[in-house]
Amino acid sequence: MDFNDFDIIYQEKRALIKNKDKIVAELKQNIGEKNVSTKQIDILAYTKDTSLIAMNWTMEGKIAGLPEIITWPANTSHIIEILKVANREKIPVVPYAEGSGVVGGAIPVKGGIIIDMKRFNKIIGINNKNLSVTVQTGTNGMNLERYLNSKGYTGGHIPQSLYTSSVGGWIAHRAAGQFSSKYGKIEDIILGMKLILPTGDKIKFDPMARAATGPQLDKYFIGSEGTLGIVTEATLKIWPYPEKRALISYAFPTIEDSLNATREIMREHIFPAVIRIYDADETLRHFDHIEKAKNKVMTIFVCEGNERLVDLEETITREKCEGNSGIDCGKEPVDHWFETRFKVTETSMFPPYRIVADTIEVAVMWDDASKLYHSVVEATEKVEGNLLVSAHVSHFYPNGVGFYFTFGGVPGKGKSQFDFYKECWNTIIKATLESGGSISHHHGIGINRSHWMDKEWDGGLEVMKKFKDALDPNNIFNPGKIYEKTWNGGDK
Amino acid sequence: MEELKKYKWMIPLISGAERNTRRKLLKNLRKKKDRFYPEGGFNADIKNLINCMLCPNMCRFDCNTLQAAKTEVISPAYKARIGYYLTVGKIDPSDPENKEFVDLMYKCSNCENCKIWCPFDFSVVSLLETVRDDLNEKGLMPDYCEKQIDKLKETGTIEDYNIFKTYEEKGIENIETDGNDDVFYYIGCEMMKFPKVVQANIELLKKLGIKFSTNLDKRVCCGSPALNIRDLDTITSLASKSVDLIRKSGAKLVISGCPGCVRTLTERYQKNHILEEKVEHEDEEIRGKDVTEEEEQFSRILYDEGPEVIHIVEYIERLLEEEKLMLHEVPKKYETVTIHDPCLLARNLSNTSSIRKILGHIPNLTIKEPIYNKEFTHCCGWSGTVHWADRDIAIKESENRISELKETGANIIVTACPECELGLAYGIDENEKDTIEIIDLSELLIKAI
Repeated sequence: MDFNDFDIIYQEKRALIKNKDKIVAELKQNIGEKNVSTKQIDILAYTKDTSLIAMNWTMEGKIAGLPEIITWPANTSHIIEILKVANREKIPVVPYAEGSGVVGGAIPVKGGIIIDMKRFNKIIGINNKNLSVTVQTGTNGMNLERYLNSKGYTGGHIPQSLYTSSVGGWIAHRAAGQFSSKYGKIEDIILGMKLILPTGDKIKFDPMARAATGPQLDKYFIGSEGTLGIVTEATLKIWPYPEKRALISYAFPTIEDSLNATREIMREHIFPAVIRIYDADETLRHFDHIEKAKNKVMTIFVCEGNERLVDLEETITREKCEGNSGIDCGKEPVDHWFETRFKVTETSMFPPYRIVADTIEVAVMWDDASKLYHSVVEATEKVEGNLLVSAHVSHFYPNGVGFYFTFGGVPGKGKSQFDFYKECWNTIIKATLESGGSISHHHGIGINRSHWMDKEWDGGLEVMKKFKDALDPNNIFNPGKIYEKTWNGGDK
Repeated sequence: MEELKKYKWMIPLISGAERNTRRKLLKNLRKKKDRFYPEGGFNADIKNLINCMLCPNMCRFDCNTLQAAKTEVISPAYKARIGYYLTVGKIDPSDPENKEFVDLMYKCSNCENCKIWCPFDFSVVSLLETVRDDLNEKGLMPDYCEKQIDKLKETGTIEDYNIFKTYEEKGIENIETDGNDDVFYYIGCEMMKFPKVVQANIELLKKLGIKFSTNLDKRVCCGSPALNIRDLDTITSLASKSVDLIRKSGAKLVISGCPGCVRTLTERYQKNHILEEKVEHEDEEIRGKDVTEEEEQFSRILYDEGPEVIHIVEYIERLLEEEKLMLHEVPKKYETVTIHDPCLLARNLSNTSSIRKILGHIPNLTIKEPIYNKEFTHCCGWSGTVHWADRDIAIKESENRISELKETGANIIVTACPECELGLAYGIDENEKDTIEIIDLSELLIKAI
């Protein structure tokens, strides 16, 4: 096989490793022959993440980014040895676990060394009194959840990527699960962690209920997307497995009615584990079998936990929905959601028809929520070749919400799939910022949003870069992400 | 049709799209096969290879080979991607430098856990087998597979000697048929490696006064390994011999302690049209003549009117229900057990209840269930082709499974499959071999009779 037969999308900023044979030999010597590879079959496996455009590229026989060395460390000493060599030779390193990210975070845009964390998969133990679990970060999310369930607990972090993501990936991308209105996002769930800095130094944040010990340094690493180090172990909150679940659904005349109902629920500090509002298009797509939801906005709720509390949450949830013109649709739509939530087929269905699609999640405060929704839809409809733009609201707070937009279409004349993809992305992000929103709710920055970071953070980005320079003086950790505008240089 | 139904919401979007967009879309719909399917004849299931390779790997957490190998290479979507690239020629399977890509098509333990979680409801091995068909047609069968086929052809068994002929040295009684048996005890090749299990089953059948035969002098492998490798010629020859032998025994019931044999004799022969092919093939040779009565009988015997073929645990469950068998206390050492459900029995034969019902009849026995049990059981590593293609992965699978079983606290692991018994043994540390015992259900039963 010849990689020249594969068009490499992110090629321009790729720097080849000098003295590769010598470096590979050194790595093999230091961490073991079997833990290092330059074989084509291994290299090709780490050329993409789960970005939807990467699925189009896979279909067309293209690859996103090409690493040169793959490593599978078995312990922290191995990681430190890899970093010694990478720092000395100034070789990019890209931490990788399950590769489920959707914004290019794990794509090796500058080549280099992949550090696959899959062997860090031990569930170290549950602390029943503290309600916590300590786990190595290469552990797959579903395998952690199944373990916790078998012991009578839930981790409460249930993203749609649960089956295909790792604990480390959740922390790196500041993830949020579908049940997060009750259990919180990963930054709420994490109690402590151990990590290795880019220089190879180890630091740890012991699990603690709360502390006022200066700026909370630990939080700075959550969402750092593999640019500031590698988290190797984490202690996470857990909960007793819920004794009751109430499944509730209402159809509303407009998205505003539904937003009002859910806002009022949040104001009461009622936190159903799951709340999801589907706009009229997505209601048609997912609930066309529910007669009462025709031409309406479906909203589903899952209240869970202690039985008496669930009963109360259900009562108040129903009151607020009915007070905002909601029509009770029973539990069937929620059952349908439970049955289908992990049946992901769209990533496979569209690329063979050369349809380019993706989802983009953004956040907004309540007072701008309706405006943001309509602005994004209106702007995206105008992109040449776009067929659909729709949204659901997937995350709720007393102060605002997270929207999840979907777009899909075919490139206009003379444009590539990537051109179309970027145009849709940029349109949605621009409309979000103009409507007072934040450019990402829970997927992170990766490549796709990095060129918007200065608009999102203004002067804050420069401060971030200083932190990055201080922690990673050779800029080896996952370069081309967050702080650099890769799309401006790697376009095809 | 399901696909169309699911995506019918797109129809108004397409019909309402701007003219150029609509034209482009319709062209893409028309051109899908021209663009992405290989030219000429092929066996590969292209549609589902594409579905799998573009999936976010929704089954990865339960892929036992991936969880053992801990490399992205073994992930189901990557295997499908390579299968697709090999089929369309993006990676040339005939180039010796690409041997590892070809080998990847065999790094699967056929556990079919993936199917439980698959959004498209297929197993990865069902796709890989179609790629193997193409590789075989191109003469690219890997040497470790050829070696298995050679053994099957030369000895009719999975060993380089006829393992059925070793019954005397292993203390296994051979019982020839007189053509009027009630039961055919179908001992698999792998089961011949566990003489104590075979002895226990023969003792059990004799105690119950069942009229049965084993016919070890004439036995051959059911052909399951050839089916995994996809050498249908070899399987046809073995299937014919097996079916003929069963037919001549007169038995209306075939029992086997190997779920792989049971599945092969039933579902896999039929699904792969094994005997139908034989009939068609011979039909060509005797063109113009009628298909012989014997050949017709071959086809009927398994698919329509043939004897019932069941795993021995199902048979024992029936005997207990009919109160033909009574179980008593087992020795203290065996009072607490855990169960390793064989993948083939739990998922392919959909039977997880018989073992538990049988054990439930033993008065002083406690079952400690592992986290992953019944239809969610994890693989021992010794099924499929991975143990030939990459023995290290298979051993690691076994170690992983042993670790899950040990977590129950039980030292006795009860299973009902010789391949599992073989595979699990690799997962036990040398220093634990005196404390942990893997035992077939039949061996335990004999202690309770």
